[in-house]
Amino acid sequence: MPFLAARDVSKAFFGNPVLRGVSIALMPGQIHALLGENGAGKSTLINLLSGALAIDSGAIEIDGQPISNMSPQAARKAGIAVVQQELSLTASLSIAENIGLGAYPRRFGLIDYAALERGAAAVCRLVGLKEPLSTPVGLLPLGRRQMVEIAKALYRKPRVLILDEPTSSLSASETRTLIELLGVLRCEGVAILYISHRLNEVMAIGEHVTVLKDGVRTADQPLAGTDAAGLVRLMVGRDPGDLFPTWQPSAQTPTVVSLSGFCAGMVRDVELTVREGEVLGIGGLVGQGQEDLLLGLYGALPAKAASASVGAAQELPGSVPRANSLGLAYIPADRKREGLHLIHSILTNIMLPTLSRIPALKPRSRSSERRIAEQLATRFMIKGDLSRPAQALSGGNQQKVALAKWMPQDPAVLLLNDPTRGVDVETKREIYALLRNLAAAGKAVVLLSSDTPELVHLCDRVAVMREGRISALIERQDLSEEAIVSAAVGVEPKRVAA
Amino acid sequence: MSLSTNPTRDGVKALYWPVQMRRNVGVRGLFLVILAFIIAYGILFPGLFSVFGFAKFTQSWFPLALVTMAQALLMLAGGISLAIGPLVSLGAVIAATTMTQSLGVAGGAAAVALAGLLIGAATGFIVVKLRLPAIVVTLAGSFVIAGAALLILPRPGGAMPPWVSNLLAGGTPAAFGLLVLIVLGWKLYLATPLGISLYAAGENPIGAYRSGVPVDKALIAAYAISGLLCTGAGLFVAAQTGSGDPVIGQSFTLNSIAAAVLGGVGFLGGQGTMRGALAGSLLLSLMISVMFFLGFTPVAQYVAQGLIIVGAVALPQLKGLRR
Repeated sequence: MPFLAARDVSKAFFGNPVLRGVSIALMPGQIHALLGENGAGKSTLINLLSGALAIDSGAIEIDGQPISNMSPQAARKAGIAVVQQELSLTASLSIAENIGLGAYPRRFGLIDYAALERGAAAVCRLVGLKEPLSTPVGLLPLGRRQMVEIAKALYRKPRVLILDEPTSSLSASETRTLIELLGVLRCEGVAILYISHRLNEVMAIGEHVTVLKDGVRTADQPLAGTDAAGLVRLMVGRDPGDLFPTWQPSAQTPTVVSLSGFCAGMVRDVELTVREGEVLGIGGLVGQGQEDLLLGLYGALPAKAASASVGAAQELPGSVPRANSLGLAYIPADRKREGLHLIHSILTNIMLPTLSRIPALKPRSRSSERRIAEQLATRFMIKGDLSRPAQALSGGNQQKVALAKWMPQDPAVLLLNDPTRGVDVETKREIYALLRNLAAAGKAVVLLSSDTPELVHLCDRVAVMREGRISALIERQDLSEEAIVSAAVGVEPKRVAA
Repeated sequence: MSLSTNPTRDGVKALYWPVQMRRNVGVRGLFLVILAFIIAYGILFPGLFSVFGFAKFTQSWFPLALVTMAQALLMLAGGISLAIGPLVSLGAVIAATTMTQSLGVAGGAAAVALAGLLIGAATGFIVVKLRLPAIVVTLAGSFVIAGAALLILPRPGGAMPPWVSNLLAGGTPAAFGLLVLIVLGWKLYLATPLGISLYAAGENPIGAYRSGVPVDKALIAAYAISGLLCTGAGLFVAAQTGSGDPVIGQSFTLNSIAAAVLGGVGFLGGQGTMRGALAGSLLLSLMISVMFFLGFTPVAQYVAQGLIIVGAVALPQLKGLRR
């Protein structure tokens, strides 16, 4: 009988279904792998299993008994421990105090530091943490903090251990320690749910696999006998329908941006060129340095390069105003916080980047501002009165405003950070058409996207990033979802090599 | 940093003390500065090292130490209070109107303590349960509390029993002894699961909640204790002056923030230590005294005080930039 199971669970956020009729059963003494692309619903499933979110329909069962009101407390009582991606640690407290947090041993109402030390030392030995237990967690590097997080989960002696991408911040030797540890726990009868993007890791340790795609379970089978390519196929393969404009090859055009030895944030040693009139896709799993690449190029993040040419300059912009004057424009992913000023009108938002171009002491001409904005609103199909605040718009229309506001400056390079996230299908179609039109008009469009079909069907070339480097640069004729996902998860690409 | 734990050493102390020592790391520099100021003060005013001089100095420090602890508690909890001063005033007027009247000394002290605890807990409840910003709630609260103090005692007056004044603010360092007891009480609180949870709840409330920490309870408890410390400081101020004054606490609000910041307590919650905050308040007291003996005019004192505080806060930032 499974320790923990989900039967036919569904979950929707604001009407958008994220999980539809998914079942999973975690058996004692088994390492169960959960696979899926960005946004397939993995994190939601974990949150449902651990009580952090409530299910819409279906059932969560512990030891075969349906639990009517699952909560984090109920999950803890039932021995379910989750190692989350974002850490739950307190930087100013010591390793031991973090491990025991919420479950301190007590004596006369005080924390029993002796018992805490014994317990913490035991779990630290398991995960290979050798730092003194009194070390404040804030002084540890990220990988060690992840090990503290795992030790913290083990301290509660869980029957079910859920690990959400535990190895993304671990070194090779830390990963080895963790994998050995999972083997030990499995022998002790712990049920383990292991989420990772590293397919070879999953193949090496998992026994059973569940694959999610767009919130639906596409596979639930023993891992023995399946190959990596087969798993990738189960994760991808959405029907693009008529969402994308037909693609036409663009002629060989001059480059507007060329970088070599580019480093910014977690980006290491990247070589990249962007040509006029192309849509260059930036793909990969979430958080592999894609955003740092855009921000570094845009001058919003300290960056350096062995050699660089951006527009007319032979160096990196280094600051946002300089990037703007070189013809770069950046449309951020978080449009509510970074892309727009929500309480201000659409007109104000559209005119904002242009204001600094008007001579400082010249009075603003409201009528010409309105004329410019109205033209853009028509061209970008922005629905609604221009004097309404931006927050009244739908996500898709907000995105169009965030894009339109750069147009008066006639940028040569558009850097877009996941522009269609959380946007409805109709607006997606409009945005895709807009981007292709901009490219046809000679603009270079750099499209960072977490949506693989978008990269396949809209882009001329796709650079796939992995751990801060470009792991593959795939040309149009070789573009496929398999090729991108394979490069993203580190499976040897087969057809891409050419 | 050779402060490694030795698991084989005797029981409870083996982990507790290294953890304690670790907390000194960030405030060692501050301790040195304080030592320098104490030496300067001792040279300017040799009487400091007599029992009487020590008693008088610690008495001038005591209320600031208390309100700084009160402020630091809330800053560790991820909040801040603008009602510190009014709470001190309220404590003072309650003490001055009850202790020589119907309630007597014990009853009056209990009333002072109860007022602080209840007002603090109520503030905490509003901030935590309604998820309102602490700065707004305590700003509004400061008007209410200051008004209440004026309603109780519209103009300076009332009286404190002379023996209470003599005990707390006479020629003996009783105030210092009291401070030691309060600090021990804090250490004891921090050794409880609820006490240490304050750090987790202040710095990473979501992580703390997921770890099973009673976040709301830890925060409301912090507000209640903070209120108690403030009205307690008010009682002491009333004992010092022998009577109650409904606006006597005014300067404590900003001084408590200044001292906590000087002691390395951060605004983002969970950053800093109580020993740091206490050291900050001691440094602020010493600065005021030393500048007084150097003949600074009060206005120049304020300017110097402000510059030193900005400098102290900027120092770690500048160090970080250079790296």
